Amino acid sequence: MDADSRNQEKIRLARRTVQLVLRLGLALAVVLMMAGLAIRLASGDLTAQGVPLFRLFGNQRPGEDLMALGLLVLAAVPPLRVVSLLILWCRERDTRFVLVAITVVAVLLLAVAAGGG
Amino acid sequence: MDFDLFNLVGLVVLGLLAGWLGAVIGIGGGIVIVPTLVLLFGLDIRVAVASSLVAVVATSTAAGSAYVGEGLANMRLGMSLEIATTLGGVTGGVTAVLLPESVIGVVFAAMMVVTATLMARKREESERAPLRPVRTGEVAAASPKEGWEQRGGLGGAYYDAHLGTLVTYRAQRLHVGSAVSFFAGILSGLLGVGGGFMKVPAMNLGMGVPIKVAAATSNFMIGVTAVSSLFVYFARGFIHPLVAVPVVLGVTGGAVTGAFMSQRFAPGIVRWILVVTLLALAVQMGLDAFGVSLGR
Repeated sequence: MDADSRNQEKIRLARRTVQLVLRLGLALAVVLMMAGLAIRLASGDLTAQGVPLFRLFGNQRPGEDLMALGLLVLAAVPPLRVVSLLILWCRERDTRFVLVAITVVAVLLLAVAAGGG
Repeated sequence: MDFDLFNLVGLVVLGLLAGWLGAVIGIGGGIVIVPTLVLLFGLDIRVAVASSLVAVVATSTAAGSAYVGEGLANMRLGMSLEIATTLGGVTGGVTAVLLPESVIGVVFAAMMVVTATLMARKREESERAPLRPVRTGEVAAASPKEGWEQRGGLGGAYYDAHLGTLVTYRAQRLHVGSAVSFFAGILSGLLGVGGGFMKVPAMNLGMGVPIKVAAATSNFMIGVTAVSSLFVYFARGFIHPLVAVPVVLGVTGGAVTGAFMSQRFAPGIVRWILVVTLLALAVQMGLDAFGVSLGR
């Protein structure tokens, strides 16, 4: 296998990995949200209320926990995609983009800290 | 707020429309969701912004997955711009409660008019520029229909179904894209939009990236931008699951449909959809800034 073919194979692996992270994360989030919404519809309680991040669980309204968990899983997908690419570029020894991905992860951690503060 | 089944169906339909538009023209769809939730559903704008940010993440995730598979999104270019866009997102989210929205609205409307004008004046020929030769360090595609991206750099190629050929490109002036991405991130955090309406022209006009790659890469990175400010809204209780979930479910369906349809659109059509959308939203933003809202 020549260098071009190996590089092309790495590009395919990166695409497949990112696709897998995005699709699995989205699918899990959608299943959780649909289940929560179905439970809520069945209960007949259609009052909308805010659910703070740090009091996510233990809600009294039926299905609220599942819907909130689905939203949280969805919010975790983009950061997971960044981490997946970081790992793949580490394996490729693409130093420039490893540093770029580490910087993005650092900013996202800052965002979580800012949200909690 | 009490909803009924009719309201919930309306939220799903809104999501479907926003997701389709977002995937086809490279914006997160949030720019449709926020005004609709405020004007038609009577929700607090912060709840609308928070719901929109979640929908933006769903749009980017669904459409980004399709674009990555087609080799349209340039992941290295997207990650490079994400440094600036996430910094902007955090800044926008944290300062959202401090700045008067009317000030941002005026700047926002003016910027959209300028961007729409530049996009409208862009000549069709630039979409059909001669292909650049593949240089050492890049890789030739194993299949003539398979796109690729340069290891260690910001170049790549994509297969354009409309032209029927592989188009190579090399992104330039990263500082221009980064500067615009930072401001796009701030607006994303403040207004709940993806910021694609700024990033796509910046990549296309400022960095020399073909518009289809720019739209796909923008869609790919919009989710990370939205998440950087979403946690601020989430922590403060502005996420209402009964509002956000139906919108997100609709957006997911619309985004998947739109992503597959975008490859069958001519670049000119994609650009004109973007121009018309920007002008319409600029009018709305301008009216809002002066306290005039249509339908309220």
